Amino acid sequence: MATEDRPEMESKAVEDVLQPMTRRTFLKGGAASMVGMAGVVAALKPLLELEAGELSIDDLLQKHYKKLEPADLERIMRRLEADCRQRYGADAQIQDLKPGEGIEFAYALNLSACVGCRKCAHACMAENNQSRDNPDDINMSYIRVLEMDMGAINVEGSTQYYDPEKVPTNGKYYMPVQCHQCRNAPCVKACPVKATWQEDDGVVVVDYNWCIGCRYCMAACPYDARRFNYKKPSIDASKVNPNQTYLSNRVRPKGVVEKCTFCLQRTRAGRLPACLEVCPTGARIFGNILDPDSEINYVLKNKRVYVLKEDVGTHPRFYYFFD
Amino acid sequence: MSTGAQTGQKRRRAMVYCGIVAIVGSLLTVSGCSRGEALDADSATVPAAVEINFESHLDLSTPRERTGLVHTKGSFEYDCMSCHRSLKANWHLPEQLMEHRGRVLEHGNNRFCLNCHHPENRNVFVDYDGSEILERDVVLLCAKCHGPQHRDWVAGVHGRQNGFWDPAMGEKIKLDCIECHDPHSPSFKAMEPLTAPTYPARAAGKLHPVTDREEEGTEHGH
Repeated sequence: MATEDRPEMESKAVEDVLQPMTRRTFLKGGAASMVGMAGVVAALKPLLELEAGELSIDDLLQKHYKKLEPADLERIMRRLEADCRQRYGADAQIQDLKPGEGIEFAYALNLSACVGCRKCAHACMAENNQSRDNPDDINMSYIRVLEMDMGAINVEGSTQYYDPEKVPTNGKYYMPVQCHQCRNAPCVKACPVKATWQEDDGVVVVDYNWCIGCRYCMAACPYDARRFNYKKPSIDASKVNPNQTYLSNRVRPKGVVEKCTFCLQRTRAGRLPACLEVCPTGARIFGNILDPDSEINYVLKNKRVYVLKEDVGTHPRFYYFFD
Repeated sequence: MSTGAQTGQKRRRAMVYCGIVAIVGSLLTVSGCSRGEALDADSATVPAAVEINFESHLDLSTPRERTGLVHTKGSFEYDCMSCHRSLKANWHLPEQLMEHRGRVLEHGNNRFCLNCHHPENRNVFVDYDGSEILERDVVLLCAKCHGPQHRDWVAGVHGRQNGFWDPAMGEKIKLDCIECHDPHSPSFKAMEPLTAPTYPARAAGKLHPVTDREEEGTEHGH
């Protein structure tokens, strides 16, 4: 059976393929390749909109952070420092701090203490070099302070735009939300180019030079923890925090996603995160969850702790508690 | 004219970019010499050290100023005992005395001066057994009543901390009770919130058409 069928099929196929080229097929092929060319031109169009010097060959050819040789990374960081000076007129020191041995960061926030003053959100801006149009602009802050009605943990009914004369308002309570550095991070899974990943100390980082700006991670994040640079970041030279690392608060290029890194430029040097240092009520607790004597472990053992949106299965490293 | 020239220039630049990308891409294996000349010149002028400050850009002011056991009048500061050597200790605030007029005690059930202040030595505080608590140990005075808060403060989960989470790297600074709470009126005071994020203009604009359509819908329904 099969041996009889085969020669027939083969002969048909050969006839199809060996048709002489007609004017029609030539034009068809021509039109198709024109469409293809137009597609290529459209894809390259953003290049036309680049300012001079915005994108160097080095940028285009740079490898993923994890595949960089130490010498290459060193060279890139020096180049980024020069960029920062050239574009923003500010000196910076860009380092590459690695996760420490036996360290896993975790954060806890005392909702009984938080008064919603937003000092954390503003300190985040001062520390992490986010884009801002004026000193009061905190739209790019990694922290959103939600005002909620007492009686329920209803995030959907909350607002981040509250602006009374004094806080706290009667009948309201406040819940700052930032990156939860999830153990099962949906943003990491969503990234099509592996430009965001989780480090050994639990911090989810972004290689801004590898990010393609598709914003899938933002759609995947249930905590609204990620920000996108729709425009070239604007920041006053005097406001640039010179203490920077490659994976955290260096000034980002346009078109990439950024996020809270638990201030890894501070915390990997043993310091507390900026948002914690300015909190006037001491609502924020940070530390090494692997150290049984740490404050964060005291909270987990002794306080009434919950995680936000437990049902989405993200297993956050950020805990809320009451006391 | 000038815009045409500019776009032409841009196109040319883009074409150059594409060309360079293609060429350098094919020669990737021998890359390493692909650095821009201009940037090389820039990095040659990098200053040796950039001044790093971990705190100057953060508002680390304590919620409350620690005044201490001093009585200030004009530009003069008085030791408590300069008056109280001769004045008897009072359980209640003396209304008739000028010096403490205006002082309000809003400390819940704690209504008596001598619950905290030492009856004989007014420059220190008093413990349950009448022994003295120095002003620098004021945390122990508060712990007389606020056991759970003191326990949490010792554990590092009540009150603000500054400095280092990692004791191997540096010191952790804990604020004392009275650097946040006014001992005569300890409940945390309402404060002015810092500026809010701005409501996205696009979302704000979209609100109107939606409500218009909804209204039209109800009219048609009638």
